[in-house]
Amino acid sequence: MGEFKGSPLTGDLSVSLSNDELHILINLVEQLLELLGEGNFNHHYQSDDPFAQLMAASMGNFESPISQPEDPVLRRLLPNAYSDIESADEFRKYTEPALRKLKQDHLFYLREQLVFPVDHELERADIAVSDPTQWLIAINDIRLALSVRLNIDQSSFEKYELMLDTDQHKPLFAVYFWLGGIQESLISHI
Amino acid sequence: MRSLPFWLDNWGMSSQTQVEEVLDLSKFFDHLWVTIVWDDPVNLMNYVTYVFIKLFGFSKEKAHELMMQVHNEGKAVVASGTREEMERAVQRLHEHGLWATLQREDHGRV
Repeated sequence: MGEFKGSPLTGDLSVSLSNDELHILINLVEQLLELLGEGNFNHHYQSDDPFAQLMAASMGNFESPISQPEDPVLRRLLPNAYSDIESADEFRKYTEPALRKLKQDHLFYLREQLVFPVDHELERADIAVSDPTQWLIAINDIRLALSVRLNIDQSSFEKYELMLDTDQHKPLFAVYFWLGGIQESLISHI
Repeated sequence: MRSLPFWLDNWGMSSQTQVEEVLDLSKFFDHLWVTIVWDDPVNLMNYVTYVFIKLFGFSKEKAHELMMQVHNEGKAVVASGTREEMERAVQRLHEHGLWATLQREDHGRV
């Protein structure tokens, strides 16, 4: 169920995940990476050529201010820094590419850690957690993304508990609350 | 609540208008900006506390107090400083998934 054991102090913090849980988590990480790669700054991250990246980055500075992304998930992950739109767009112009990059880096990091057991007979993997903060940020971003799609509010857990097993949304709510449990467990270990 | 700076007391200002005019001088001293964190139903309470400790170096008690203020009142000022400093703070908070904005410090509360 995603239980952590050990401690960062002794360098043996790890989490036990079933193969099914790994599948779900990998799938979510990859979907969010895809979403973050879309939009205005797609070109920054498609090229490995440092010169192309530099050109793309500097070109961005001369463009007119960019507005909030249209996708509500991206609006939550890359929120306005100012309440007035003009300042928000101006700030976004200079900072959104970097913020996207940071979020992608955390998700890439998590993706690299999620490895199935070498022994195919095993149904669980023990995964070392060497950088708990990156785990927390990446999992939190996935929860934020899911929360937008699921319209999560203060009463969502009570609603979830009353959902019938036949409700088609129930599995995704279950994943959302499972990730919250992972986050709680991880924080209590650091 | 911030009390009037000592140099205002000595200017013999009496009317609210005059005081506000003087306070507008703050536009020339670029240090009266604040970072505000807003409540949301997703970020876990202990995660928010963890982020406050990590980013601002607060004690556990102070971080918990601010987190509770966000939770109960819908928002809390978590930092103040120059505009540039607050922009950096907001960017770091956004990196961690918290909902944060910056603004000029509210003169209305003097």
